[in-house]
Amino acid sequence: MSELRRGLAVAIAIARKDATSELRGRQAAGSTLFFAAIVLLLFGFALGPNAQRLAEAAPGLLWLAIVFGGLLTMARLHQLEAEDGALEQLALYPVDRRAIYAGKALAGAAAMLVLGGLLVPVVAILYTIPLGSAWLPLLAAVVLGAIGFAAVGTAYAGLTVRMRAREVMLPLLMLPIVAPLLLAAVKVTVTALGGDPLGEQGAWLQLLAGFDVIMLVVGAGTYGFLLEE
Amino acid sequence: MPQTTIYVAPRLAGTLGTIPPAVATVELARLFGRSAALAGVSLTIEIGRTVGLVGPNGAGKTTLLRLCATAIRPSYGSLAIDGIDAQEHPELIRGRAVYLSHATGHYDDLTALENLRFAATMFGWGEREGDPVVREALETVGLAFVAGARVRTFSAGMRKRLALARVLVARPSLLLLDEPHAALDSDGMALVDRLIGLWHEAGVTVLVASHQADRVASMADATVRLEGGLVAEVSGAGVSQGPVGATARPRVAVVGMDR
Amino acid sequence: MKSRVLGFVALLAVIAAAIFGLFVVPADLHQGDAQRVMYVHVGSAWLGELSFGLAALAGLGYLWRRDLRFDALAHSAVEVGVLFTAFAIWGGMMWGRPVWGVFWQWEDPRLATTALLLALGIGYLLLRRLSDDPTRRASRAAVVGLIAALDIPIIHFSVIWWRGLHQGPTFIDPAKSLKAAVPMLFVAALLFMLTAFTLTWAWLLIRRYQLARLETRIEEEVRLSRINAARAAATAPGGAVEEPAG
Repeated sequence: MSELRRGLAVAIAIARKDATSELRGRQAAGSTLFFAAIVLLLFGFALGPNAQRLAEAAPGLLWLAIVFGGLLTMARLHQLEAEDGALEQLALYPVDRRAIYAGKALAGAAAMLVLGGLLVPVVAILYTIPLGSAWLPLLAAVVLGAIGFAAVGTAYAGLTVRMRAREVMLPLLMLPIVAPLLLAAVKVTVTALGGDPLGEQGAWLQLLAGFDVIMLVVGAGTYGFLLEE
Repeated sequence: MPQTTIYVAPRLAGTLGTIPPAVATVELARLFGRSAALAGVSLTIEIGRTVGLVGPNGAGKTTLLRLCATAIRPSYGSLAIDGIDAQEHPELIRGRAVYLSHATGHYDDLTALENLRFAATMFGWGEREGDPVVREALETVGLAFVAGARVRTFSAGMRKRLALARVLVARPSLLLLDEPHAALDSDGMALVDRLIGLWHEAGVTVLVASHQADRVASMADATVRLEGGLVAEVSGAGVSQGPVGATARPRVAVVGMDR
Repeated sequence: MKSRVLGFVALLAVIAAAIFGLFVVPADLHQGDAQRVMYVHVGSAWLGELSFGLAALAGLGYLWRRDLRFDALAHSAVEVGVLFTAFAIWGGMMWGRPVWGVFWQWEDPRLATTALLLALGIGYLLLRRLSDDPTRRASRAAVVGLIAALDIPIIHFSVIWWRGLHQGPTFIDPAKSLKAAVPMLFVAALLFMLTAFTLTWAWLLIRRYQLARLETRIEEEVRLSRINAARAAATAPGGAVEEPAG
């Protein structure tokens, strides 16, 4: 049992360290949010000005913006480690690698949650979407989506952080993997905002949850191999 | 002189109750891409010795240290730390072997205190018991006055001192110091010398890679000179070259190659 | 030697299956000759997925045993898999043009899934390209292969639920064909070609694996020679190496 407590303490210490760095890091996190908002703005130019067309596209655009911002976020969380050679030190501590993964994934999920949560009102305003009672399933989608994205992102960011062409490799590897996540999240958003005639929202939420569980398990199991050099 | 407590890992008993050597390598080799950073090193280092590792740039000093730290895996040959095989159980070596690298490995946006507290947690200290350890370490390296400052504001010398503090928070049986004197002023270098002396007294095996051969030689039990990825010369007590029965050709030890 | 026999048999099987599928089996009532593409399209897609599954298992094998042979197998499997997947997409497009009127159809779950599969496979191969160190490359590839393979069923579910109007093989729907005997011929052609393709797949895999092993062996020789060169340089006159005792 103390193994678990120790692992938990390690994970929390890592998540806390990352969160502190994020909050203090010269608005790097804020820049990502701003970037995602600009992307949404640009979508408006690309697909507008017909308000109805934008409203229909809104769920998809929201999640695309979250994905793009998310890629930057996950990359940055590992960049923190690479800056001063901290990653090598991290890999050498006598701790369970799964705990390291858990800590970084936790920090990643939290960052994604903030990103998603803040983008929803931006979308609501830009594309004139009334949120109303939709907020609960929307929240569920954002939470589950954040966890899933962070689960994959932590593993892949750890994998690419020391690679050549890492800036393109992370998106290249991640995007096909998170395609079903994107699909499901958008579906939940659509049914939350526009009604659910087929009653499919539950199924999509389950898909999201399943994705999260699988990716967390695999990520935790393989992260140790990625830390080695 | 501030009080400095040295924490040491418990001794491991080897087979038959003998104490295994701190470092035992057989034809240890490591390639990066196609260049051989280490081309077959066979060394046995007794426990508790302070050993200087000298040689020109590119001789393989850093590579040897990193292999001992399990930061990298051998390409060929074998390596055992305190009798533990580095390929089979690297996780048991981590924490016993502590590595002070060229890059100081700090988190720039965290304060010195936060960095050390994090390290303390990683090295297994609980929150409460680790606090005095961390504070003492900061005192020892002379950074207590900037404990609350972010590492981003630190000079290279201060970063090095903080890295030394991190080593003080660990509980090693083997210390791998890569150019510990680099970036330090004369006070800093004296601090390093003093700490090495304390570690030696406490029975920790210390491997110091340095360009300052003379400085190291005066403190060390033995000196190993590396050149071109091989051992050129061994002098002093406690280090022998090659265990009994070493062959001159590298053993083919890459798993999976049919010959 | 054995692989030669396999290759020969595979080639014969493909030719035979092709003749069967093109000339012996009658054309579909509704789709005409275009429907014959399905005989190769379905098999290719399936073999692509099988390849990824194999690659994932081989990757796991590497992570468990650190034996580079597993890595070579995984690499070969993905390469062959990408080949079959690309062929499946091409087949799908060739089928789609006459039948639907367009090359691409978002509503066909199989096409979308296969496209993602291709993306995953290419990503894997690019990852390998950008890694130098053999063991690091093997570890990274193993993880990516594993995650990709686990994602495949998830992709399947999500795309099918995505309101796809799956262009199912028409032979399964008995209402579509008037003669009772014809569906059996369709099934036979499909299975025949599937078998032929599987033989081809196996042959390609074996050959590619052998090639990968050769590549690794050459790489290995080069690395060893570098080490020996370094040792030779040290023991040459003027060097200062002591011969190890014993």
